[in-house]
Amino acid sequence: MPKEILDKPFMSSQITTDDNDKPVYSPCRYECPIHTDVQRYIHLISNAKYEEAFETIRSVNPLPSTCSYICHHPCENACRRGKIDAPLAIRHLKRYAIQKATEYRKKNRLRPKQTNGKKVAIIGSGPSGLTVASDLADLGYGVTIYEKFSKLGGILALAIPTYRLPREALKEDIDDILAKGVETVLNCEVGKDISLKDLIAKYDTVVVATGLMKSRNLNIPGIDGQGVLLAIPFLIDVFSNDNREFKLGKRVVVIGGGNVAIDVARTAKRLGSDVEMVCLEAPDEMPAWSWEVDEATQEDIKINHRWAPKEIVRKDGIIEGLVVKRVTSVFDSNGRFNPEYDEHITDFISADTVIVSIGQTVDTTFLNDSPLIVDKQGKLVFNNHDYLSNHPKIFYSGEIVTGPGSAVSAIAHGHKVASSIHQRLNDSKTDLSFVEIDKIGDIPETVRNVIKARPRISISLLDTNIRKKTFIPVEIGYDDASALREAKRCRGCGGGAVVDIRKCMACMTCKRICPYDAPVVSFYSRIRQEYCQACGLCVSTCPSKAISMRGMDVESFRKDVIGLLSEKNSNIQTPPFLLYTCITQGLNPEIPQDIKVVSLDCLSRLDVLDIITPFNYAIRGVLLLPCNDDCKYHGVDYWLKMKVLHAKKILSSLSIPQDCIQIIFNNKSELSQNINDSSLNALIQRHKEGLQ
Amino acid sequence: MIVGEQKPFEEIWNMIRQYRRVLVLGCNTCVAVCHSGGEKEAHILSEVIQIKASSTDTSIEVNHMGLVRQCENEYIDDAIHNLQTYEAILSLACGVGVNFLSQKIGSIPVLPGLNTTFYGSVEEAGVFAEMCVGCGDCILHLTGGICPIARCPKSIMNGPCGGTNNGKCEIGVDTDCAWYLIIQRMKALGILHLLEEIQPPRDWSKSFHGGPRRMFVSHVMLNKREDANK
Repeated sequence: MPKEILDKPFMSSQITTDDNDKPVYSPCRYECPIHTDVQRYIHLISNAKYEEAFETIRSVNPLPSTCSYICHHPCENACRRGKIDAPLAIRHLKRYAIQKATEYRKKNRLRPKQTNGKKVAIIGSGPSGLTVASDLADLGYGVTIYEKFSKLGGILALAIPTYRLPREALKEDIDDILAKGVETVLNCEVGKDISLKDLIAKYDTVVVATGLMKSRNLNIPGIDGQGVLLAIPFLIDVFSNDNREFKLGKRVVVIGGGNVAIDVARTAKRLGSDVEMVCLEAPDEMPAWSWEVDEATQEDIKINHRWAPKEIVRKDGIIEGLVVKRVTSVFDSNGRFNPEYDEHITDFISADTVIVSIGQTVDTTFLNDSPLIVDKQGKLVFNNHDYLSNHPKIFYSGEIVTGPGSAVSAIAHGHKVASSIHQRLNDSKTDLSFVEIDKIGDIPETVRNVIKARPRISISLLDTNIRKKTFIPVEIGYDDASALREAKRCRGCGGGAVVDIRKCMACMTCKRICPYDAPVVSFYSRIRQEYCQACGLCVSTCPSKAISMRGMDVESFRKDVIGLLSEKNSNIQTPPFLLYTCITQGLNPEIPQDIKVVSLDCLSRLDVLDIITPFNYAIRGVLLLPCNDDCKYHGVDYWLKMKVLHAKKILSSLSIPQDCIQIIFNNKSELSQNINDSSLNALIQRHKEGLQ
Repeated sequence: MIVGEQKPFEEIWNMIRQYRRVLVLGCNTCVAVCHSGGEKEAHILSEVIQIKASSTDTSIEVNHMGLVRQCENEYIDDAIHNLQTYEAILSLACGVGVNFLSQKIGSIPVLPGLNTTFYGSVEEAGVFAEMCVGCGDCILHLTGGICPIARCPKSIMNGPCGGTNNGKCEIGVDTDCAWYLIIQRMKALGILHLLEEIQPPRDWSKSFHGGPRRMFVSHVMLNKREDANK
């Protein structure tokens, strides 16, 4: 990733904090292998700033669209809302933002950087290869990808079912990378069509990122012969060669319990077969993601747990079924994979086709005529720190060295390798890898108890009866209103208040006003991050301006407001109104032209100052539209009223009429939940007229 | 803590309207605690001045900043060059800060933005109450910890007076009778008999009546270093 992205300030360096008050990552960001600033893009979505949201995602992720479909979202598993009601639907929101920014993205591909004259060849175009290519192109290298198949994307393009990853999504990502000037040589297998030796003669560095493309096979009686397929070739045939007419038998048994096995089973189902799975593991031991397993089960795929394949029974060479034996344990006492069986307990599953999906391994064709060596066990030799092989010009990247994992982990590894290469080729000591900082602690129970529950808004899935027969995506995206409501569930973990201890004089105001008991005040206030919910009440009330927010730059927010007020609009004859709202207005294009809208995460963050300053510009009044009933925080209504009273008192000394400031109270009776409802406009209109 | 409240805006405006470049200077200690004179209030006031200036076609450049305290050399020294670039400084410190800064700043007027009101406690969020007048001769041990000088409008030493009314003072129902409180409190502490002792007349010269006071703490005074070396 380019240096400037790493330099993105996590928070203002202008303030001095308590030593115990180091910035922390929100759990979502911490758990993301590439530390995507989830909170920031969710916040941008809730302000209808989709392009910025997209750029936030793209800044660390060269395959944002792909991840928005298939990421295993460790961010969601870590989300602190999980302990209150349910985690935020982060992946779905990511997809929503990216889709909203589609047009922008097509027009704003990143262009090639000025070349630094160095050339790198990358073998393989899976997620890690593409990431290395993207990063090095950003840094000015001349990058060429060598791909064995006829399309770019590796497993993503070849074998991931299209009902999970539509290829148009992948294409968007690849187009982004190609726009940076990355060149490609397709249908070229290194070790066969060209050798590694040739490449190291031509390039400054070569990266082997060929992944795990070879399916492992079983060694059981009956395995040889027709009717037995291997997972990866089967998936490639269906999804890369577009062979939707693939003739499977009527009854298919899939052996394996991983994500690939689930893909195989669901694909077989869509090809019209009855499908059963056999896996060694109990449900909670399966390596496949639980939601994938759930979706498979919904599609009438039976999973036989704790059975191991013993023999494929054939009659006249034709498969009749699979004999399975009982698994007594899968892992040993050290937690290592070491299955044990009871050979006497067996069962028989009738089938005419068996697909083996028990893992992948390295295709070592690239070793032919290469200077690379393998150790006594036949394993690749490389340095675990920078992934340099035994040859000074050849690096490894991705699953070939990390073992099987997720797409986003492969991307993370690609970043690491790109960084190693950059350091080596530039003799540079600059470490480009991600800044590793701690994550925020759990939400304390006392705080959990006062947070209002708000159910997760799930996206809808295609009807199971339809999806069993089709390869179109199972997940249907969000509509605007649902996406907004879901985005608003974010608690802003780790993005809350922080005290500048040079300014704090321990006046207790923050402690008194905080609904979550976050501040601890001794010689100065320290705001406990795990308690803070980032509502901003203390920030807007601190008398010495000692508190700022990690997740919101208040100063630049104010500059933006002033910028908006200074804009001249020739269509408007009379001075405009300013409307502050925490209901996003990007969705409501019918707001009258003479209202200038500023949306922010919660009106609790508004200061008296923000209400008064606009009167320095030609405006007719300030309107405040809070979300009221819908507010995710506590006490906001009350404090907003107090701030408005204070502001009115101040303005009265300037002979500005007090009703120039209006809070628009919308409760459910006045404004329906649907923010697109025209009742909002009517409401604004009415309040506006009240001001004239 | 010193409590103060902002002067009416009209008064402030009349003080500063003649200047073209003004700094509103907050004081981030006592008067920030009472939400009258901290950096935040300085910022708000500077905005209000700007609004007034533009609505009256007056050209004034107004900026704001805050110091930790305006009553100590070092805090002022750090900012003095910046402060001296202004035509006038509107200080939101208590009177101490205004006096002290005037003394240090040279030929720039330092104008008071606050009326300094009292030494007070924070009874609850947003409520400040006067409890001491700094008389220089404390007698709280004789009055159950309640000061008749600060809290009785007559400052009488042998109250209550005839104006006490069901625990309230004759000046208004919102004001407690200090002597009523004293007696209740001393009863509760079992020391009411102390009131029977005849006290010598108070030495008011220790108070402001003896002229402006100074205190010397010689063991931290830098200019005593040479004496000590002898």
